[in-house]
Order: sequence, then C-alpha cells, then structure tokens
Amino acid sequence: MVNLINSKHGLIFEIQRMSTEDGPGIRTTIFFKGCPLKCVWCHNPESISKEPQLQWFKNKCIGCNTCIETCQQQALSFDKDGLKIDRDKCISCGNCTDECPSTALNMIGKKWDLYDLFHEIEKDKVYYTTSKGGITVSGGEPTLQSKFIEDFLKKCKENNINTALDTCGYASKEVYQKLLPYLDLVLFDIKEINPRKHKEYTGVSNERILEKAIWILNYIEKHNKKMWIRTPLIPNFTATEENIKGIGNFIVNDLRNKIERWDLLAFNSLCSGKYSRLGISWVLKDEPLLTDEKMEYFSKIAKEIGVINVHWSGLTIKIDSEVKELI
Amino acid sequence: MSKINEKLEVQKQEPKFPVAESHDLLPRSKWLREYYFKGVEREWNNEYTPFTTDTDWDIIFNEGNFYIVPVMYYYIGIKDRGPFASSFRSMAILVKLPENFWNKPLPVRRALFFEEVMLNYIPQEIISENDLIAGGRFHTQLSKCFNEKEAKIFWKKNIRNRNAVFKFHKNGFGNVGATGGHIIADYETVIKKGFKYIYENIKKNYEKLSKKEKKGFKGHQLKAMMISAEIPRKLAKKYAEECRRLKNEASTPERAEEFEQMAKNLEIVPWEPAETFWQGVQSLWLIHMLIIAEESYPGPGVSFGRTDQHLWDLYKKDVIDEKNITKEFAKEILGSFWFHCNTVYDAQIKIGGNQGISSGFGQLMTLSGMGSNGEDLANELTYTILEVIDEWSPILEPKPNVRLHRNTPDKLLDIIVDMIFRAQGAPYILNFDERSIAGMIAEGIPKEDAWDYACVGCLENTMQGNDRSGTVNCNPNLAKSIELTLWNGKNMPDKSDTSKSREQFGPKTGDPENFETWEEFWNAWVEQMKFIIRYTVEVNNLTEELRGEFLPTPYVSTIVRGCAENGLDVRQGGPELRFITIEGVGYATTVDSLLSIKRYVYEDKKYTIAQVKKALMEDYQGKENAIMRTLFKNKAPKYGVDDDEFDELGRMVMKTWSDECWKYKTPTNFQFRPGMLSWNYWAGADAANTIATPDGRNKGRFLSNAICPTNGADIKGPTAVTNSVGKVLGGKTEDGEYINYLPNGSSHIISFNPSMLRDPEHINKFKAYLRGYIENGGTALQINMIDAEMLIDAQKHPQNYKNLLVRVTGYNAYFHAIGRELQDEIIARESHQM
Repeated sequence: MVNLINSKHGLIFEIQRMSTEDGPGIRTTIFFKGCPLKCVWCHNPESISKEPQLQWFKNKCIGCNTCIETCQQQALSFDKDGLKIDRDKCISCGNCTDECPSTALNMIGKKWDLYDLFHEIEKDKVYYTTSKGGITVSGGEPTLQSKFIEDFLKKCKENNINTALDTCGYASKEVYQKLLPYLDLVLFDIKEINPRKHKEYTGVSNERILEKAIWILNYIEKHNKKMWIRTPLIPNFTATEENIKGIGNFIVNDLRNKIERWDLLAFNSLCSGKYSRLGISWVLKDEPLLTDEKMEYFSKIAKEIGVINVHWSGLTIKIDSEVKELI
Repeated sequence: MSKINEKLEVQKQEPKFPVAESHDLLPRSKWLREYYFKGVEREWNNEYTPFTTDTDWDIIFNEGNFYIVPVMYYYIGIKDRGPFASSFRSMAILVKLPENFWNKPLPVRRALFFEEVMLNYIPQEIISENDLIAGGRFHTQLSKCFNEKEAKIFWKKNIRNRNAVFKFHKNGFGNVGATGGHIIADYETVIKKGFKYIYENIKKNYEKLSKKEKKGFKGHQLKAMMISAEIPRKLAKKYAEECRRLKNEASTPERAEEFEQMAKNLEIVPWEPAETFWQGVQSLWLIHMLIIAEESYPGPGVSFGRTDQHLWDLYKKDVIDEKNITKEFAKEILGSFWFHCNTVYDAQIKIGGNQGISSGFGQLMTLSGMGSNGEDLANELTYTILEVIDEWSPILEPKPNVRLHRNTPDKLLDIIVDMIFRAQGAPYILNFDERSIAGMIAEGIPKEDAWDYACVGCLENTMQGNDRSGTVNCNPNLAKSIELTLWNGKNMPDKSDTSKSREQFGPKTGDPENFETWEEFWNAWVEQMKFIIRYTVEVNNLTEELRGEFLPTPYVSTIVRGCAENGLDVRQGGPELRFITIEGVGYATTVDSLLSIKRYVYEDKKYTIAQVKKALMEDYQGKENAIMRTLFKNKAPKYGVDDDEFDELGRMVMKTWSDECWKYKTPTNFQFRPGMLSWNYWAGADAANTIATPDGRNKGRFLSNAICPTNGADIKGPTAVTNSVGKVLGGKTEDGEYINYLPNGSSHIISFNPSMLRDPEHINKFKAYLRGYIENGGTALQINMIDAEMLIDAQKHPQNYKNLLVRVTGYNAYFHAIGRELQDEIIARESHQM
C-alpha cells in the first residue's frame, strides 16, 4: 500500500488541464487523494480515501468478463445490476483495470513521481504565460501529502510557474509553513461559519480552520502573496443568509478585508454518478440546483457586508421570466 | 400549477437555444439579404446558363472539375456522357461565332467565345434599386470550343482519366482531379493599377516575340490573353449603359444619381485604377465574377486575398480623410458585394432548390495579419468588414479568415471572440501567422515576401496573385496505407472474392505476419505510404495534363502574375509560383492504427498480426473481436493527448507522407506540396470505402478529420490537443523557430461549450488560450461554440433552427440542410467538448 505522507510519490486521482475554475488564468489542477474532512456535499467523494479505489462505469462496460477472469481475490462478480465489487476482498492491485479493454474499470488514484508530474504540468507553460495562470494543487486535501507537494511546488517556482494551493485549512501550521514559501496564491475554503454546524456537515469543527485562515493571511500579507476565500453554497446546508453574513463578517473583521477575492460556488449534482460507482448513497442526489437569482442574492449580501471582490460561479437554473411571474 | 405547465408546453415549441441572426442591417443590405434568402421564389437568379458552338461534337460540361466530389460521379456518368453533360448540351444556347472562328487556335477561340457570351448573351442586370455594385449573372457552362479532331482526342483521354479516377476512388485511395477555382488572382494590381496595366504588360510580352513565335504556341496564348484582358473593360461599358438606362427609370432622384455614379464608376474601373472606395469594390467584384464565369466552375475557393489591405488606401481617403462617403454608405457598398458573393449558390438553384444555399464554397477573404516587420495590419476597414460580417451573419460568403499572430491587438481578439460566442463559432476561421509563414518559407518563398500570404478556400495558405495553388486537386486517403501494409500491397480480400487474384496496387513489402519487429512493419508501411502518394500523383497528373492541353483559361491567366511573362496559360504552368496541393485525409486514423499495432502486436505482444487482420476482415464482429476493438478504441495510445511518444510517431507519419509530396511535379511543371484540408471526405465517400482500421474504427465509419485527432481521442482538453497538433507539424527548433511540414495549412477544429465565455474573466482566459495557440498550435483553427443539446433539439425541431450554422470542416453549413449521418457525427463531436 502506498505510504502517503513523506512519500516520494504523490497519489493523484486527476490532472485537469486548461482548468479555468481554480484560480487566475489557465491552470493545470492536480487533485491529490485523501481528505481529513467528510463534507456531506463532497463533489469528489473519490478523493476522501487515502488509498486507491476501484471504480466501474456501467456505460463503458462491454460485459466481456475479462476482469472477473483476471481477479485473483475473487472480488468481482456480475449480477443483474452489473459488476459487483466486493470491497472487503479487493486489494486495489489494479490487475483487472490493466486487463479491462474498455476503461470501464479503473483505479482512482495513481502514483506519480516528481519528474513525471512536473513534465506533465510543464506542457501547458505557454498558456500559463499568456493567461497569467499556473498550477493549482487541490484534492482531497493536498496538504496530507505535504512532503511531495513541497518538492513539487518548489520545482514549479524554480521554473517560474505560478502556484496555488486549494486547501480546506485543516492542516498544521508546520505544514503550511513549509508550503507557503513556494506558493503565490492560497485558495482557502471556509464552508460554514457556525462551529457546531461545521462539525455536523464536515466531521470537524472549524475553529482550527478559522485560526489557520488568519495565520495564513498574516503570512501572505508579509510576503506579497494572495489569498482567495472559497465557499460552496449547498442548499439546506451552507446556502443560508446567516452563513454568508457570518463568513462575510469574518472576512471583513478577522481577515481585515485583505483577501483578494471571495468565490461563492453554487452547488451542483454532477457528482452523483461518482457516489453510485463507489457504492455510497448521497443525500443530495435529487437536490435541485440553485437559481441565478439566489446566487445573485447571496453575492449581494456578501457585498453589503463589505467584502470587496465577490464572485459567484457554477451551475444554476435560469427561470424564464414569464414562468417566474406565474410562480 | 397547470397554468405553468401550459406555459412550459408552449415554450417547448419555441427554439430552446438562441441562434445568431442578422441585425442592424442598413436598408439596402437588409433588402438584398432578404431577397437573397427568398431563394427559388426570386424572379431573378444566377443559375447556370450553358452555351454551345452548336457543333455535333461540342463538349460543354468539364467533368474533371468534379472528380474530387464523389457524390457527383453518377451525374458525371459511368459510361460515356452522363446526365449533366447531356442536359447542358440539350439546353445550351447557340452562340453566333465570330468570323474565321474555326481557323483560330484553341485559346483564342476560348477567349472570343467567352467575350461573346459575356457581352452579348448574358444580360447585364442591376439587382433592384438597392444594388450598388454591377455584376449580376455570371454562372455559365461554356462550350470548350473544340474542333472535331480536338473533341475526339479530348474525349478519349477524358474517358481514360475518368476510369483511372473512379478506380482510384472505388479502391479506397480517395479522390483526385484537376479542379477549378482555388486561387487568389492579382486583384490588388487591378484595383491599384487597372486592367490597362495588365493588358499593356501582356502586349509588351507579345511584341517581344519573334514573327515566328507570334504564330506559334506562345503567341496564341498571349493573343488569347490580350483579347481576354479587354473583356472587363467592354463588360463594364455595357453595365455603364445599363446604369444610364436605369437612371431614367429610377424611382427617386437620389437613386438616379446613384445610377449615374455607378455608370461613371464603370467607365473608369476595372480598366483604370480605382479612385474611390466604391470603384475599388466595383472593380474587385467584376474581375472576380469573370473568373467564375470563365472557368464555368461555381466558385469554390475563388478567393480574395487580403481585401482589407487592398482597399485600405481607398477607404482611408474616402471615409476617414476626405469624408467623401460615410462609413454607413461604405457598408452599403460592401453589402451589395456580400449579396453578389452569395449568388454563387444559385448555380443549380432550380434543381437543388434552397438546399443549394447550404453548402460552403469558400470565396475566402483574408483579414488582418502581420506586416513585413511583424506589426499587425488590422485597420479601420478591417473593423468595418467585421461589422458587415456580424450584421449579415449567418451568411455563407465571402468567408472570413482572420490572421492572428503575436502582435495581434486585443481589440481585434475581443471582437472575434465576441462574434464567435454569439454566432456558435461561425463565421470565422482563424489562421496563425507564425506557423503558416514557416511553411511558406519551407516551400521556397523568400522570408521578405512570406508575410504577405493569404488563404484560399478555407485555410489553404498561398501567395497572392501569382500562384495557381490547386489546393484541392489531390485528396488521398492516408489510412489506405494500413490496409496495403497488412495485405502486402493489395486490398483486403473481400469475403465474396477470396479466390480471385487481387490486383497488386502497392509494392510487395512482405506479409507482415512474418515480421519480427516493429521496425519491419514501419518500413513496410513507409513504402506503402510512398506508393499512395505516387499513385495519387500519377492519376492526378493525367487530369492536369488533359486540362493543360485542352482547357485553357486565358482570362484567369491575365490576372495571375507570370503567365504573360512565360507565355503560358495558368493551367499550363504559367504562374510565377506553381503548386498543387496534396491534402492528406484520415491522418489520425492512420497514426492511431499504427500506434495500436506497435503497442499491442510488437510491444505487449497481446495480439498477432494474423489476429488483427482477421478481426479487420470480420469488421470486429464476434466476442473476441469486440474485445480487441474495444481495447484499440479506448485504451490504445492515441494522437491528440499531448503524449510525446505518441506524437513523435505522429510526427514521423506526417514527415513521411509530406516529404514524399515534394518529390513530384505535374507534366505542366507544378510542384506538389502537402496540406491537410480533407473537406468532408472524412465523413463521406472515402470513409465508406475504407475497411475497418486498427484504431478500433468499424468499416465505413468516418475517418479522422484533417489534422484533428480521431473522434473522442482528445480527452486531455484543448491545450493538450493544440500541443499535439503543433508537434506533429514539426514543433519548433531549439532556437524557437517554427517548423511546418504542411505549408498549405492544416484544418483543426475544436468545440467548446458556450459557458467557456460566460463572463469577462473567462473571455480573457479564452483569448489567452488563442495566444497560446499562436505559440504551440497549428496553422488554422475553427471553433464550434455549441451546446450538444442545442443540436439535438435542432435535429428534432429543424424548423426552429433554420439559421443555425455549424462548422463541418473547413466550412460552415446550415445544420438543417446536412445529412442525418453528418448531423449525428457533429453531435458526437460537440458532446465531447471541453
């Protein structure tokens, strides 16, 4: 099994090129596996576990049974609903994914060494230059693989590539202290201002997180770097006036409005397929999207509190004005 | 609640997605555009009119123009004369021939016949009181003016050529044939110096000849050119007379004054240099229209070059410096020009109906781009033309190709990106100067001239005014090389005729079942690839030779530099620059097939060549074959994901086939050069004739399109595929100099979801991507900004999307008017977008 911490390898579940949603410009976002939080709305449920996981795509499977013949652990079988993965038996060896002709079976989480990863992200250097973009390490929670990431960020900076860290804030000062010298931007998540609710939604309280936000901001101010706050707006959870006001006040008062921008990220349910592939049920599966109006409304509140640069993005429903009148 | 449902129900009938529509048109332009789109309902149209010398042996229809359009083969005819030739002959108008006609040499006969038709048989018409540019009808089918002996020899060779071309096509090699159009004539010289200058130059060259030479071949050519060079003046005079006649009938004094001015314009241009912007546009249209008329070819690729540069001085004087006309009036002048350009689609309007106006001919106009010092040349006229395009869109002609480079101003990029967003990606083709110019230099154009290139048809880079260019004459199916390699130079045996001895097309490179290494396979493939290029050249050369010998176009020869000096017709090798392009088709299908074989046969040894061949013969039917196909399609290495190893094989494939092109010339002394346009062959007849391929593609399915990866292969996003495209074109040298193996250009299409441009922040990211494309990408990019759901809705409710233009390959077409199969392919492409 991969030893994540201090490893010479990173365990990465996706590398997204021409990412336009994770910081300024055109970026390559590297998604590291493993997360200390368990947010109910998590968009990347495959990122939570610190170990590689097998997943199966029904629509890609041609039913050739190659995987079942390959598996030495007898972890795989077919029933009327498709392939069954016995996760107690599966040791994530990856032999079945190697043999699968269709990519229907694949392993979430692959080991990358520093050289290969740098080579991969270097390919888009031209676009980073033309767009003032760069790379973003995200996850999961990338700081869980801080040794590898430190080396990687260092290499990026040596090559004049702009760097960003997308973090949930739930890591030690020691870890941030190691990474910050090689970062240009921190994308810092503040999901919920109420500590009790935060624990209820994510499994941990937000006190350490808020404390870290202030600490990172101080560092950033001194070292001429940038910080963005990101807040996912989840219906019935974080998408409340109260929460926006709370986080907004925290930004204005505790962070002294010194962050560069605040992103409000609208909920979407595009990840529900990921849950079913992992065999997990998801409470938000049938939750409708937020409306444009609602997102505008939240932005307005955020601005009224005095936060200077508020953006919102994400999938929304556009209600036709005529229909709206009838509602 | 029920009320809401009712409302929703009503809404379902409406188009769910907005489609670009024309807007803010000035009154004349609005009338002309609406009139144009009345199509078959119009009382006036520009349908083909055939003309004959009325001999028993007369030949009117030049089928060779359509050898590269396999869907036309039936109309061309399988034996002897087909439906087109016969119907044109039976409908043809008898032209009274000048005295001594039959005693004159062929090129002179052609010139005289053309003159007679244009001046005395085709009426000179101004299209309504809204038209500001003279030049109405121009679609002809002209007699080839053969005497009996010529007709006999021509027809014999023609049948030989037809058989060779059909055989080439039927066996899956693609299609070839010397085709009309596809040229940028020397419009700049006519606008700036007048046809008089051209006439005098021809005369000078004629007079230089000895007495004997004057009566010989060269003398005949130059004589014919001299006659032709006066046709524009004579035609303009007739149009001037018509304007004066109409002046007397004009409904308002203002219109009467316009007619007077039009008449005055026509008394000056195109014979004299244009003095005003109006005259410049008038001159341009008349000489352009005459090319289409003389070739009796409906207009594809008859391109304008850098119009925003050629007319800039006149525009600056009239609109900016002296304010002789308003910008609005300049736009109305351009509007008339736009209208006339679109009447090319009338050629067969009665047969094809409004369907005819669905296709993409590509009278291309090149805009902006760099100057001699790398500076950008976009000017106020460039921006005015962009406004006209925007207001007229969706419309098909002329097609704009905007040249981008490192010094392209943000202002221009902003306008382009905005229009791409609003018009679903239409109407632009973006051309990239640095990579393109590297190609021009590679084909021997001096560095100090290469910056002034322009594009023909869709994206075919050529020099202006001195190159016949022949950019679509050869369209070999590169993927055929896989079949020939696997079967030792023969076609794959058909189940039905395994016993028959099959023809040995390519060289015997050995049965690959006996090959031990990938190198052996590769070497065999190289030989088969070389054979395909040679075979392409051989068949094409038959058609070039026949055209050169029997189908001169003395008028076109007058406005292509070099023809007068060389005393040769443009089709016989007259131009200063003489290129014929070989446009490779099915490139990524070929590369991916090789990658599969390399990986699974020679590296992993998962399959043997015998197993692969069997699977291809069975078109991947059966369980074991299906597993192989799935593997090849989904997991095999592919071109287009920015993998250095895969792209290196892609580069070697590119270099192999493109290097081979440079080895050949036509008998008419044209040099072959490589390019990658692939029009819609990838989706049409050539795909149908291609067996299953080791990239996991089933028999008859679409091939890859131009330089694009195979459908669904570009899973790493736009930057990755852009890098791959640049790499297989040669990338850059260590010093950062661009390399371009395909001087004639390469068509690359990328689809984006419109949400990519949802706010200014993202628009800036998109612009930065385009600037990155300048560095890392290919020569030409076309962008589709379409939601797949919109296309699915358009398929279900075509009536709601009459205006929806989509990018097919080098051209746009109305979505409702293309075949279901192609629609599905485009939906598949759009569904897989970034």
